[in-house]
Amino acid sequence: MAQPQHQAVYATDEYGRPFIIVREQATKTRSHGVEAIKANILAARTVANIVRTSLGPRGLDKILISPDGEITVTNDGATILGQMEVDHQIAKLLVQLSKSQDDEIGDGTTGVVVLAGALLEQSEALIDRGIHPIRIADGFDRACKVAIEQLNKISEEIEFSQNDTSNLLKCAMTSLGSKIVSKAHQQFAQIAVDAVMQVADFERRDVPFDLIKVDGKPGGSLEDTTLIKGVLIDKDMSHAQMPRSVKDAKLAILTCPFEPPRPKTKHKLDITSVEEYKNLRDYEKQKFADMIKMVKDTGANLVICQWGFDDEANHLLMQSDLPAVRWVGGPEIELIAMATNGRIVPRFEDLTPEKLGRAGIVREVSFGTTRDKMLVIEQCANTRAVSIFVRGSNKMIIDEGKRALHDALCVVRNLVVNNRVVFGGGAAEISSSIAVAKAADEIPTIEQYAMRAFASALDAIPLALAENSGLPPIETLAEVKSRQINEGNSRLGIDCVGSGENDMKKQWVYDPLISKRQQYLLATQLVRAVLKIDDIITAGGEEE
Amino acid sequence: MQRALPMQPTIVLLKEGTDTSQGKGQLLSNISACLAVAETLATTLGPRGMDKLIVSQRGEAQITNDGATILKLLDIVHPAARTLVDIGRAQDAEVGDGTTSVVLLAAQILKEIKGYIEEGVSPQIIIKGLRKASQLAIDRIKELQVTVDKSDSKRFRSLLLKCASTSMSSKLIHSEKPFFSEMVVDAVQCLDQDDLDENLIGIKKIPGGGMTDSLLIRGVAFKKTFTYAGAEQQPKSFKNPLILSLNVELELKAEKDNAEVRVEAVSDYQAIVDAEWEIIYRKLQAIEKTGAKVVLSKLPIGDLATQWFADRDIFCAGRVPAQDLKRVVQAVGGSVQSTTSNISREHLGTCGSFEERQLGGERYNVLQDCPKAKTCTLLLRGGADQFIEEVERSLHDAIMVVKRAIKNGDVVAGGGAIEMELSAYIRKHALGIPGKIQLIMTAFARALEIIPRQISDNAGIDSTDILNKLRMRHAAGEKWVGVDVDGVEGVRDNMEAFVWEPSLVKVNAISSATEAACLILSVDETVRGPQSEQPNPGPRAPPGAAQRALRGRGRGMPRR
Repeated sequence: MAQPQHQAVYATDEYGRPFIIVREQATKTRSHGVEAIKANILAARTVANIVRTSLGPRGLDKILISPDGEITVTNDGATILGQMEVDHQIAKLLVQLSKSQDDEIGDGTTGVVVLAGALLEQSEALIDRGIHPIRIADGFDRACKVAIEQLNKISEEIEFSQNDTSNLLKCAMTSLGSKIVSKAHQQFAQIAVDAVMQVADFERRDVPFDLIKVDGKPGGSLEDTTLIKGVLIDKDMSHAQMPRSVKDAKLAILTCPFEPPRPKTKHKLDITSVEEYKNLRDYEKQKFADMIKMVKDTGANLVICQWGFDDEANHLLMQSDLPAVRWVGGPEIELIAMATNGRIVPRFEDLTPEKLGRAGIVREVSFGTTRDKMLVIEQCANTRAVSIFVRGSNKMIIDEGKRALHDALCVVRNLVVNNRVVFGGGAAEISSSIAVAKAADEIPTIEQYAMRAFASALDAIPLALAENSGLPPIETLAEVKSRQINEGNSRLGIDCVGSGENDMKKQWVYDPLISKRQQYLLATQLVRAVLKIDDIITAGGEEE
Repeated sequence: MQRALPMQPTIVLLKEGTDTSQGKGQLLSNISACLAVAETLATTLGPRGMDKLIVSQRGEAQITNDGATILKLLDIVHPAARTLVDIGRAQDAEVGDGTTSVVLLAAQILKEIKGYIEEGVSPQIIIKGLRKASQLAIDRIKELQVTVDKSDSKRFRSLLLKCASTSMSSKLIHSEKPFFSEMVVDAVQCLDQDDLDENLIGIKKIPGGGMTDSLLIRGVAFKKTFTYAGAEQQPKSFKNPLILSLNVELELKAEKDNAEVRVEAVSDYQAIVDAEWEIIYRKLQAIEKTGAKVVLSKLPIGDLATQWFADRDIFCAGRVPAQDLKRVVQAVGGSVQSTTSNISREHLGTCGSFEERQLGGERYNVLQDCPKAKTCTLLLRGGADQFIEEVERSLHDAIMVVKRAIKNGDVVAGGGAIEMELSAYIRKHALGIPGKIQLIMTAFARALEIIPRQISDNAGIDSTDILNKLRMRHAAGEKWVGVDVDGVEGVRDNMEAFVWEPSLVKVNAISSATEAACLILSVDETVRGPQSEQPNPGPRAPPGAAQRALRGRGRGMPRR
């Protein structure tokens, strides 16, 4: 039976006639065996090479232009891959890999892809030597276990408390080091640490990110970024003449429109006489007055409304000295309610003084010469909600600033959850690599080769770091590696910033242990999945 | 194949374009088609089996090692080859595991038989021989199978663990076998031991984390539903709450869609508005009165109700998927209510603890310590979607195997051991039978050897060598010797190495493979209407045109 490589299933009967077994047989393509594995590895490596250059403090950014012309500048691995819209199936796996690192840990998204790419590169050489792909994967699994044990061994606990956050600050600074915000990274790190400290629940070791709102507006510079211990909403007072700030605010948080209530059932009111019309007019007027009275009676001095109100209502509110904010979105309403300990009230009849939210000051702020205004609610009853307001010269910088901040927040959160750290700058990788290489020699089976390959793959991270920092990669790595072995010091890493100090503890370059652990595990799993595929059957496009 | 004499006038009997092929040629071509399909599957068998990446027309990719799934995704249209797809599917539905083996076995039987067909042995005799051989094989399995004592729960559990891990050995989760087999056995043992409804094992997929971060929850977990403003102000954790499950929409809305209210006077206006509020408030009050602390509904719970509950420290979740709600009710007791009036204590369920928990990037509502905990939930984690899907399929197979093992508790050794034993037995038995059937039975015996052969081929071991070793040791009476892909020797006693499979999987595989082979052998003519030539979607060309187009590219059935 002839078996051309490019056809899905091809068979001929006794008379040499080909026959159709699979639907759309002609358009399906199939690659098989080693060829398939190689093609997959190539695709994965290509993706890994793209993000490789953005690793580390001297990593460079990528500019991504979306189909509708929007520009993103970033060096966040997950963002780069997410926006590239890759088409190849294996490449897609890598994208998901970095996304899942992002979801779970929030940091180290570039590292995981680089590691997976390096592992695949190594396995290609092993396949050429004729080692069964699954045995390679088995060897990687064993090596991964060794590497993780080593990580646990070299990890150190860092001390921090609510009052002493200097260690957390250093970790946050490591994470921000490679980002565009690095010139203000001291400040950003401080913001991230303060924000997490504000919302963290130390008993449950939980950090609810929902309580941290990150917002941004172009203008100013990155240094103007501030942490607001309260809520920031992109809204202003509904009437230009309303007071700009309210002290000791009592907020009525309403989810009903400021207008006469109307039944949800379809209804029809026939106005047949002038009398009736006047009645209606009076009724509406009366309603408005009632509503304002009800709000006033509870002692509220600020109205936050989820819906809108027309000019008439606005005018009436203005006249009765009741500042109001309209069209506040659902999530923001919720945040305000939580921050001020208020209750969301669905109709005026239900308003009571107890349901009002309280805040020390609510003020409108405007920026520069623009007329954009935002509302800041501070000194809230519940201090656990915070907002971070990012400033920057343009939208791209702000977006990248937000992403950097997110990474830093995640790092701090991870440390609150688990305060063990390993040393960055490739120190952890070099140390694990040494451990794996040593363990490999003790294994009698073919897996030994796979484990050695794993050790070389781990070297890829310090190599990339050195390369991106403009150092001679191999020389630098060799030097650090030998020093680690000779001095027995697992804290030595690549000196990316050129400070002349290789001890990462002295440079304060920390990474959370769980982040590194997760990187190794995810990368090994992905490599196994890729190596296990020996057959790719692709349906042709819709058109022939 | 019609062998028309050159001079005979053509009689048009069937519609133009109808393809009829018949006779031995047709039989042989059907067999070739089946072989071609089986060949695609062959490499997935065994602990060193590989995966397939199948990309659908819409660009969706699936990575899988599961025979039934691959066959489904291949989208096979050849009528005879579809029989194989069907037996794969039947095996999946019946025992849930061994789908690859059954297809391989069927194809191998056909391959061994092919020679006899060419030599002109009547298919009927072959069928008879195959049936007899398969009966022998099944009887032999029943004779050999080891029944494990269920009364000793510890030993029984270890048996289940072994069965589960054998089923996982060819899958992606191979390296985490101990972890997942514990999980699967725990899950199945959570269920009601009498009916073992595997639908009550919920599987939720949460991307992110490593595979070993997967969790088994003895109770129900479902993803946080869409919530309205106010939900964050509700309490998120309860001890021993009463749980009310509803099928009621709690929202301020028109009671009837097509109703219209005619308001006569302005003064009535407020009355109608109030009446509507009254309706929803009355519902909410009725719910509060029941004392329920957790309110779940299949239908939406609006922002008004959410905030109302938040004020009263009640948790609510609307739009809970029907399947999840069903499992909640089964776990906590009570029943789903379609109205809010007249709810009494017995309609409510309860559980030890209710909690909203952050798992990966998502929030989950988790109910644990349920009094009627006959359900459990597997929360699977993994680096990518395709990953988790494959884990799910592998676990499904393992769950089915464990379930079967609990039901009848008989096991045989896997890794090709039982197949080799059967092969030896049938071969010996066949020698005592006169006539052609002897040949057929020996062919069947040879076909059984495909399983150990393929396992060793996939592992990159010399299969001929291994098979000879196996044959020798089975002849010496070591009935549980099978392939060992890890060792140097290549063979070992798989009963002692704990490669165990429920015997039912094997019985079913052999009988359905034989059935399928017999079915294919008993067909000697295919008549296809011209329509089925062009099964692909899209605007259909006139039958003749499609025929010509196909023929023009050198494919498709020639018209006769």
